[in-house]
Amino acid sequence: MRLPLALLGVIAAASFAGPVIGTGLGLDPATVDLADRVAGPSATHLLGTDELGRDVLLRLFEGGRISLAIGIAAALAAAAFGTTVGLVAGYLGGWTDRVLMRVTDAIIALPLLPLLIVLAALDLGKLGLPAWLVQSEDISLLRIVTLAALIGWTTAARLVRGATLVTRNRDFVRAARSLGAGVPHILIRHILPNVLAPLVVATSLSVGDVILLESVLSFLGLGIQPPLASWGSMLSNAQELISTAPLLAVYPGAMIFATVIACNLLGDALQRRFDRG
Amino acid sequence: MIRFAAIRLVEIAAVLLLMSFVIYALIGLMPGDPIDLMRSADPRATAADVARLKALQGLDRPLFERYLAWGGHALGGDLGYSRLFAEPVTSALGPRLANSLLLMGTSFVLAFVLALALGIAAARRPDSRLDRAISLFCFAGVSVPTFWLALVLILIFAASLGWFPASGIATAGLGGFRDRLAHLALPVATLTLAGVGGYTRYVRAAMRDALAQDHIRTARAKGASEARVIWRHALRSALVPVTTILALSFGGLVSGALVTETMFAYPGMGKLIFDAVMGNDYNLALAALLLATATTLAGNFAADLAYAWLDPRVSYQ
Amino acid sequence: MIRSHLFRLVPLALVAAAASMAPAAAGERETLTIGIIQYPATLNPNIDAMAAKSYVLGMAVRPFTVYDPDWKLVCILCTELPTIDNGRAVPVDLGDGKKGIDLTYTIRADAKWGDGVPVSSEDVLFTYDLGRHPQSAISNAELYRRIIKVSVKDARTFTLHFDKLTFEYAAINDFVLVPAHVERAAFADPAQYRVRTRYATNPTNPGLYNGPYRISEIAAGSHILLERNPHWAGTPGSFPKITLRAIENTAALEANLLSGTIDMIAGEIGLPLDEALAFDKRHGAAFQIVYKPGLAYEHIDLNLDLPALADRRVREALLLGLDRDALTKSLFAGRLPVADSFVSPLDIGYTAEVPRYRHDPARAAALLDAAGWRAQPNGGRRNADGQALSVELMTTAGNRSRELVEQVLQSQWKKLGIDIRIRNQPARVMFGDSLRHRQFQLAMYAWISSPENVPRSILHSSEIPDAANGFVGENLPGYRNPEMDRILEALEIELDADKRKVLWAEAQRLYAIDLPSLPLYFKADAFILPKWLGGIRPTGNQYPTTLWVTEWTAQP
Repeated sequence: MRLPLALLGVIAAASFAGPVIGTGLGLDPATVDLADRVAGPSATHLLGTDELGRDVLLRLFEGGRISLAIGIAAALAAAAFGTTVGLVAGYLGGWTDRVLMRVTDAIIALPLLPLLIVLAALDLGKLGLPAWLVQSEDISLLRIVTLAALIGWTTAARLVRGATLVTRNRDFVRAARSLGAGVPHILIRHILPNVLAPLVVATSLSVGDVILLESVLSFLGLGIQPPLASWGSMLSNAQELISTAPLLAVYPGAMIFATVIACNLLGDALQRRFDRG
Repeated sequence: MIRFAAIRLVEIAAVLLLMSFVIYALIGLMPGDPIDLMRSADPRATAADVARLKALQGLDRPLFERYLAWGGHALGGDLGYSRLFAEPVTSALGPRLANSLLLMGTSFVLAFVLALALGIAAARRPDSRLDRAISLFCFAGVSVPTFWLALVLILIFAASLGWFPASGIATAGLGGFRDRLAHLALPVATLTLAGVGGYTRYVRAAMRDALAQDHIRTARAKGASEARVIWRHALRSALVPVTTILALSFGGLVSGALVTETMFAYPGMGKLIFDAVMGNDYNLALAALLLATATTLAGNFAADLAYAWLDPRVSYQ
Repeated sequence: MIRSHLFRLVPLALVAAAASMAPAAAGERETLTIGIIQYPATLNPNIDAMAAKSYVLGMAVRPFTVYDPDWKLVCILCTELPTIDNGRAVPVDLGDGKKGIDLTYTIRADAKWGDGVPVSSEDVLFTYDLGRHPQSAISNAELYRRIIKVSVKDARTFTLHFDKLTFEYAAINDFVLVPAHVERAAFADPAQYRVRTRYATNPTNPGLYNGPYRISEIAAGSHILLERNPHWAGTPGSFPKITLRAIENTAALEANLLSGTIDMIAGEIGLPLDEALAFDKRHGAAFQIVYKPGLAYEHIDLNLDLPALADRRVREALLLGLDRDALTKSLFAGRLPVADSFVSPLDIGYTAEVPRYRHDPARAAALLDAAGWRAQPNGGRRNADGQALSVELMTTAGNRSRELVEQVLQSQWKKLGIDIRIRNQPARVMFGDSLRHRQFQLAMYAWISSPENVPRSILHSSEIPDAANGFVGENLPGYRNPEMDRILEALEIELDADKRKVLWAEAQRLYAIDLPSLPLYFKADAFILPKWLGGIRPTGNQYPTTLWVTEWTAQP
């Protein structure tokens, strides 16, 4: 478990420290330098430059910030929403449970990618979002986080519901009920701590899934829009130069691979820890 | 049990109905229409042409009215024409569906067989180096973006080694069994490599649980051989979660694999759905998406039924 | 840990090795396999304008007239072009001061459909009825609207009566015949023509094609196989079979070429130029790569309703702040001619005598200061009201070349203190919604045109789309100049070629002075061909290279 945590820690720290490192080196990920395109590693550009002469290392850091931010934000949002649904469905049971679970199943049954395509192509202005938001540069980021959360909450919901079903009949919960505790109080103070284990595992796994999802969306042209960079969009853009500059694809690909596999290993290690304890 | 099945079937129908409306509405919410692209492609196309063509497609009518019209026809068995292919939806779907079933089916069988072998091997020697190697292999497979994997395979096996063709379903003018097999090789390899990891972990976990159970110890104590223990006793217990993933993968057979199909120019359902949605081809998109959803729901249903049948401890009231 | 790195490095080492190996040898000359990035949705010549469809049909269906690779109008299906001198073109007075023209064409005697039936005036009449019918889903109806009637003299000679006399009267390039004897049954219910047309229901019917090749096999979404047409009376094509393979992903398309699965990549619908250049650098030695600049004019429309852009000084400053030479040199290896006005250097109306704006940041800064946009210490510019000089740049999302160019522009303008916000949209949204309703500030896209195409709908003041006229017209900047209107109107009806040249020169100069849009460059297509293929003449205009497929040869 230490290994994946350490790896993730290093990646995250490097990415978020990117701007500082950049100022220190006197570089910045957005400076276009047409004279120095697709250059190999050099003293000024440790990993070389990309198709517009921008420093690859700093772009990787920026990509890391964005990809990790999307991954973590989406995973947390999905977890939060899914937990609420799961707690309510599992505890209250009866019709609430039936309806919520049917809705959850329906969403799981949806063919994922087509739904994403449609949602990614929607005109947000028509949905009533304010103009300043729709036209900001970060809108593609928000879109992806929302999409990923909308799809990911179902896993958390099912897990939490299952764990709630088991926990609600335990003695300390019954005791709390008989003492007259309100439902929200019971849910938050008594049930939630006991369902956290599988939730944490699922959330850490889903960070990796979201990062992969973002790279697929970039492949389809529906992901992060320029001038923002993410590992997924860097990887997609590098496809065209694959025969001339394969390293431009290796770096973001390696970062995605390392991060996702670290998330998976972390989730697995957490699972084993919880199984034993 | 019958009651349970009946209720579930009704629920499936309800979900499909709701789904059809949601999908129709979502496609309708996409701004613009592919007809608008004409203005940029043809210097002599005018706004009047665009308006006329939109009216011919019925796009000037309100969304809900169009949905009801579609619904009426669909319930009567008429799925309409695909505007993208200019042919009836059923004849546009047919060959693509066959292609997808072939591709996804082959990949799934291959991945599952491999997963069984790897999962059992890992479960028999838990925490050994073999187990850890297999685990790592599984994680690696699911941590790579599929389009990247596809590209690497094309570059190695098609572009440089030349063992397999790089795209398509068959050579034009030819197309025999061997030819189709050659064209399937790389796409199947991509999908198998991407999917085997997930299945293996499932099998491994199920087998470990099964092997740790009491009746296994009893069988061993009675002197049964290792092979017998695995095949007769453990596997039966492991069948439950294994059947679950089998059934849950049903939907994937029909919804295809968009990224793989794009990279290998393999005309399957994944690409069809993408093109239909992007092309505002309501009839085709709805037919394909509802088919995929129905298959997934049917798979879930079958999984629940199998679960009840296999594990006598489970019952549905 | 090391193992997972190995997972990454081993395949990539192989990739690096693969990239340096020679591509697989070309296959037999029995068949030529062409890779294209789009599969034609329908094969009917008159429905759904699509570049991929024109490309395929260029080999199978002959148009009447077309612009050849030298950009001259030629007769393909007819015997000679009608001119006033040879008597085939007769101007008529329609009354009310309007002039029309009657054009008489004769179909070539040896023109036959693939089932042996001769091409005749019956096909002309049928196609005309088809084009005029409001429900037949013909995509470009303007031509048919302009034909008042068709009179038939005999089986091969007919006269088209047009309602307007323009200088390019003889060009009926969009009038593509379909066989009456095959398609009449499909037209029985005109509203259903689109789905009943034999081009969709039975595309391998030889009677649908009158060119050197006919379509013999189709695998929907994947490939199209063409074979020589036995009833073709002209020079036969060198290849008994031609296959077109559609591969949408460009990296996969390149890999297919390297592996020998395809022999060539079509220029018109193949790799974007910057990818072709990258491919050339790496593998160019093993192929023949031909670059042909064309008529697609890449430019940035400026919305003149925006107060900042209404000031001509700001527009000029924007143009002076761009180093277009450096851009085309570094991104496109200098293959794209920098544009000074909207006419391509290869076009007959082109003049070099227009004001040129070369990269001059000092002058640009001076202009911005004069226009009231003062440079701020933090790098931006503000006017007297305190507003920042910040505009939105829009182009088609997912188009990587354009995204690259955008980011270069953004960085070049940043040096001037202009803040550019990039806001891309999918093409259908941009063209169908934003541009049509003029909801943009800066829009980067290309005009496709044909040789000597008068840009009336783009530059005339009556063609500004707004709510009052139902958003008709392509004058997106909102450009109003009565002088330009006069020139455009005069150009359309000027029959004398020399006088036209003068008018073209005036139009270009005025455009370069007023700058309703910022000219960028003219796009070029890259044709990636095997070394053994000769005789291909890239056209550079919208009429595909395949129209001359009979000139292609396989050199041993």
